[in-house]
Amino acid sequence: MAKRYLILEDGSAYAGEGFGAGATTSGEVIFNLNLLGYQETITDQIYHNQIIIFAQPAIGNVGINHDSYESILPTAKGMVVRDLTNISTNRLSRLSLDEFLRQHNIPGISGIDTRHLIRKLRQAGPMKGSIVDVADAHAFDQLNATVLTNRQVDQVATPKPYPNPDAGKNVVVIDFGLKHGILRQLSERRCNVTVLPWTATAQDVLNLDPDGVLLSTGPGSPLDLGTDVLDMIRQVQAEIPLFAIGLGHELFALANGAELVALPVEYHGSSHPIRRIITNDVLYATQGQGYAVVAKSIDRDRLITTYVDLIDGTVQGLRHRDFPAFSVQFFADGAPGPHESRDLFDEFMEAMTAREG
Amino acid sequence: MPKVVVDAMAMQRALTRITYEIIERNKGVDDLVILGIKTRGVYLARRIANRLQQLENVTVPVGDLDVTPYRDDIDHDGPSDPEVTVENLDFSVAGQKVILVDDVLYTGRTIRAAMSAVMALGRPKSINLAVLVDRGHRELPIRADFVGKNIPSSQRERIKVSVSEIDDRDAVEILKA
Repeated sequence: MAKRYLILEDGSAYAGEGFGAGATTSGEVIFNLNLLGYQETITDQIYHNQIIIFAQPAIGNVGINHDSYESILPTAKGMVVRDLTNISTNRLSRLSLDEFLRQHNIPGISGIDTRHLIRKLRQAGPMKGSIVDVADAHAFDQLNATVLTNRQVDQVATPKPYPNPDAGKNVVVIDFGLKHGILRQLSERRCNVTVLPWTATAQDVLNLDPDGVLLSTGPGSPLDLGTDVLDMIRQVQAEIPLFAIGLGHELFALANGAELVALPVEYHGSSHPIRRIITNDVLYATQGQGYAVVAKSIDRDRLITTYVDLIDGTVQGLRHRDFPAFSVQFFADGAPGPHESRDLFDEFMEAMTAREG
Repeated sequence: MPKVVVDAMAMQRALTRITYEIIERNKGVDDLVILGIKTRGVYLARRIANRLQQLENVTVPVGDLDVTPYRDDIDHDGPSDPEVTVENLDFSVAGQKVILVDDVLYTGRTIRAAMSAVMALGRPKSINLAVLVDRGHRELPIRADFVGKNIPSSQRERIKVSVSEIDDRDAVEILKA
């Protein structure tokens, strides 16, 4: 394998072995603490334009399978791992991680001291980086000149509506760059789904006469999406049961008067206990967030805080006081990660049934 | 062979949803009192009150209503409607928003008796009904405001609700007669 480099905008360079595609890419460098689920992670569109450092030291050991895609065309910019394991004995494995990354033109780099890198990013905060063949002054100039888009949702979300038919509840999913785990959970519950682009108006949604509306996960900052989408949410939540996840949750909070703050370091992992306030018990779920709802900004006459992260104290769930509309910051579809929060999809189903009376 | 139609997780979810619906409908928890109908309604009422306490940090008064021996698996041909008496009620219901809680809504006769018992104590601002299961077959014009699960049933079937406080688990089962 060829020697390649991960370079960071602070001027540091890390030598490693290239794998996957030989492309030179730039992106925001973030780290993911999940022990399992690299396939779901690399295919999740929340990682659009990002280079992902995996804290789990052995990556590649279960190959790539049919069941764990979170998007059709992954748009992450690279994988940084300590040890690449290119032999998989998993019975579901269809191809190796290396082959998969070649297919999708995503570069990987292995043999990197990921613990050191993660410590550094925890202190320094977000940084741009590139995976390159030569770590010379030219490469750094290129990196420093790179301007990352803030139109991530436009890049990855569907521009056109499409159906995912079944015989059950009529659900509209607003796509901000959704992960397939969400559609999978709705399919398991036999929902007749229509996916709409995120620019859909409230009237577009209501014209489909849905039983429920789901605001999906997605990449980037909710503050870059304008206010039309917030108007849409306010109108829809007053009419139809609404469930929002990830970026959808952040927009739901904004639409109801709460404020958001950018976290000093993005958090991607599944090891934080999350308290479900109403029953005072704890669950674990996969989290991936660069923003958090400011607890003090929540208008208690409009929203109830329903889940809270017990490690960093961030708000993890909200519910509207007047309508069956609720949201969670964490990824309730559990792909990858603990499955215990999938219960929220049953809550959504029951909210739709209850409204029928 | 009993058939479990609501398992422990689903029962938790139902009570959670009912709690949120109570907040939605009443615009908060001011002036709310909860009355559980014995036996299992009492435990469900306490669970709802606990949830309200967790969410709103407000203690909602909970009282018990005792129903004279009444079983839904024997025919009521005679004029023997259930009688309801009030227990553990150290607060007034006058001017309050009363939430009645029962496990199964069936003929509606228990609820009618419960409403009479509440009315005898004072004039509540409103009475709402929350039930874990609505099995149909009403004999009176009564409906629930908050329903955990609608279970269309035959009158020959028996609906058995278990709560972990006094039974071995949380479940709703259908038993064939």
